[in-house]
Amino acid sequence: MKLTVNGVEHEVESHGLQPLLSVLREELGITSPKAGCQQGGCGACTVLVDGEPRRSCLIPAGALNGAAITTVEGIGTPEHLAPVQAAFHEHYGSQCGFCTPGFLLATHALIERSPGADRAQIDEALAGHACRCTGYVKILEAVEAAVGGAK
Amino acid sequence: MKAVGARLPRYDGVAHVTGRTQYVDDVRVPNMLWAKALRSPVDHAAIKKLDVKKAAAMKGVHAVVTWEDVPRLVYGHLEALGIPGDEPLLAKDEVRYKAQPIALVAAEDEETAQLAVEAIQIDFDERPALFDVRKAADPDAPQAHHWGNWYPHFEAEMDVRQIRKGDIDRAFDQADTIVSGVYRPAAIEQLPLETQTALAVPEPSGRMTIYSCTQALYFSMGVVAAHLEWPLNKLKFVGGTVGGGFGGKVDTATETLSALAALKSGRPVKWRWTREEEFLCSSTRAPWHIEIADAVTKDGWILGRRMLTLHDSGAYSRFSPYGVTKHSFHHTGAYTIPNLHFDGYCVYTNRVPTTAMRGFGVTSVSFSTELHVSRIAEVLGIDPFELRLKNANRIGDTSPNGIAYSDPSTVSTILSIADAIGHELPADSRTMTRDPRAGELLPKHLVEQVGKVDH
Amino acid sequence: MALADVDVVVPTSPDEALAAFGDGKDVTVVAGGTIVLPDLTAGRLRPTRAILLARAGLDGITRDGGRVTIGATTPVSALEGGDEPLATAAHHVADPEIRGQATVGGNLCAEASADAPRGDLQAALIVLGATVRSGGKGGERSEPVEDFLANGAGRLVLDVSYDDVARQTGYAAASRPHAHHYTILAVAAAKRDGELRVAATGLGPRAVRLTSVEQGGEVSGVEARDDALASAWYRSRLLPRLVERALADLEDTG
Repeated sequence: MKLTVNGVEHEVESHGLQPLLSVLREELGITSPKAGCQQGGCGACTVLVDGEPRRSCLIPAGALNGAAITTVEGIGTPEHLAPVQAAFHEHYGSQCGFCTPGFLLATHALIERSPGADRAQIDEALAGHACRCTGYVKILEAVEAAVGGAK
Repeated sequence: MKAVGARLPRYDGVAHVTGRTQYVDDVRVPNMLWAKALRSPVDHAAIKKLDVKKAAAMKGVHAVVTWEDVPRLVYGHLEALGIPGDEPLLAKDEVRYKAQPIALVAAEDEETAQLAVEAIQIDFDERPALFDVRKAADPDAPQAHHWGNWYPHFEAEMDVRQIRKGDIDRAFDQADTIVSGVYRPAAIEQLPLETQTALAVPEPSGRMTIYSCTQALYFSMGVVAAHLEWPLNKLKFVGGTVGGGFGGKVDTATETLSALAALKSGRPVKWRWTREEEFLCSSTRAPWHIEIADAVTKDGWILGRRMLTLHDSGAYSRFSPYGVTKHSFHHTGAYTIPNLHFDGYCVYTNRVPTTAMRGFGVTSVSFSTELHVSRIAEVLGIDPFELRLKNANRIGDTSPNGIAYSDPSTVSTILSIADAIGHELPADSRTMTRDPRAGELLPKHLVEQVGKVDH
Repeated sequence: MALADVDVVVPTSPDEALAAFGDGKDVTVVAGGTIVLPDLTAGRLRPTRAILLARAGLDGITRDGGRVTIGATTPVSALEGGDEPLATAAHHVADPEIRGQATVGGNLCAEASADAPRGDLQAALIVLGATVRSGGKGGERSEPVEDFLANGAGRLVLDVSYDDVARQTGYAAASRPHAHHYTILAVAAAKRDGELRVAATGLGPRAVRLTSVEQGGEVSGVEARDDALASAWYRSRLLPRLVERALADLEDTG
């Protein structure tokens, strides 16, 4: 089975019922998607599947042949942060950091889809993402800054 | 002074936003095995039979660790502070809470480990279980331990943490009114996004490297060394990157068993709890049962407090005696009460052992004291802000354990809150400070309790 | 059986899916995966054979010959903004990422878990008078949603359809506001040519029709369940309020 991850094509050997999360983490060694709950409840494993934010713990590998996956490693580097990454860094949207990759990708997809998203659209887009450190205020400030910068 | 008052970037921020921060689960070492635990399906039982032969013989299984593999089975988290241990690392003869670990399997992958766990043969003789700390003293209460339901090792081997201050009987004699209340803060799961995870790597030198998500690295190192009966210098701990803890990662949850499985198999072992395990058996903030009776005057002075606290320790004591002690020192909250009679018990139940969470032992006091002070204000018909300001801790007031406050912030905090919500206060309240008591704010009953501040 | 030994089929057409499904014996069907995958990961479900429907061509919404037909693997998100009360019910499911992946067929086949009710779309489909077309033992068959919910175990849903006509509709729900927005209880209502249909999701393992309400009476003849989200006591007291609100909502759409 073929999977393109962050622009690189891989021949994947994981069993068809393995969740995409374990394909990424255990087979390909891409560790930014986190196994926070492995039941779709926390959003820490969210990646982009053909541009759409999806929980990688819920998608069986066998359903993905030929799909293009984007993780946080694929949107920017420490030297060249993507606007979303820069906004989270500058506005303290990340504390322990474990939920951050999921929030970043959900925000990244929101900006692609709705460049001028308002607060209600932001709340909706992030509804599936849990953070236990920040109380969400700093995250929302970061997201609003990222959306504002993208306008 | 470059940092104070400046808005500095997080030192770990760039790594967080680029997915490069390495949490324990992200560490990759060759030949790694995965671990799964056999956990008690019942709340309280004697173990009649434990047979791991079939599980150990399964293909892909490299170690099954039971109590027999633990050099020092019982070690207390606070033995260094003189609090004796009561918890076996793995259950031997008895289980005292649901999901208590009984065995750990290390196998080629998590699925194989789980199938082996299910192949372990075990029989229980179930016993009645105690869940409500309030019922622990009932004549027919189930007994969580053979020594009873009370932690018996407070100072002088008493089963209660006591505070006696001033003359409580006189305070209640002088009171215009007694205001009573019962408060029961519930258990709370800290719920970090990163579940408990450890990776133990045996080194060719005979040492062991342990990647840990602990909040208390050197402490966990000591716990592992004690169970293994190893000198500390054979352990190398790698930590500092914690995917949320909030107190729940003070207990040493995964490191010791991962190390034992690594020793037995000779291979690196990773043990990552599922979210379900995290809810079932990672230690929570304790539930408490708190009874308060305050002797008050009709003009709003709190002359004395009688208080009974039952702290639900769960099945084992871990840090709970320390939590009860902290609770006792703070049991008047942010207020000065000169005459005190406090009894605090650390009570065993058949619930998961409880632990720290953000203000260990003190949040239960704050919650119940603030509710109680509001209740007093309601009973007396006094503005709750004015009542709080009157009784607020000031410089020179003494805490329940006799420490004179040098820097109390109660007055300024209450005034800020009133300001923030637009609560009108009379001039004498509005101009109040934390300065030592004098004049009307030093009534007769407080004269003797004012201490000398040691700057 | 270990996962490595499980045979996985990924059909690329409805016919292939039906052939792979056969009589449905010992087959685990994965549509969106939002319910099946957590059970697999936790070891609660150990299939012997699995069919992944992602590429079976069973998705899409069509309007044709006075009928609206929704393919089994149409994502829940595709219903948002469409016909009421289905659109609002769909919007109440979890969050946008889950809705983009969860399917209409999965929602019809979902068993309630021990923790929470599932099947948010069922009540809305009942009041729309929808028909479920399914395959499996004995071949293809079509039946009203209520009948499918009662007897549909072991069937492969192909699509669900309803008449493409104007209706007055209403919807009211109580959710638990956290990451998953689980619906504790929801009431859907629809009126067409003077005929009222009312149904509730979250009372039991599957949605139920509230026939006493349809006949102008009080709620009766239904029992609420206890689970991790809410008690039966709470649900049974909530139900009449939600019925009132759903009917008021329906009158508003006049």
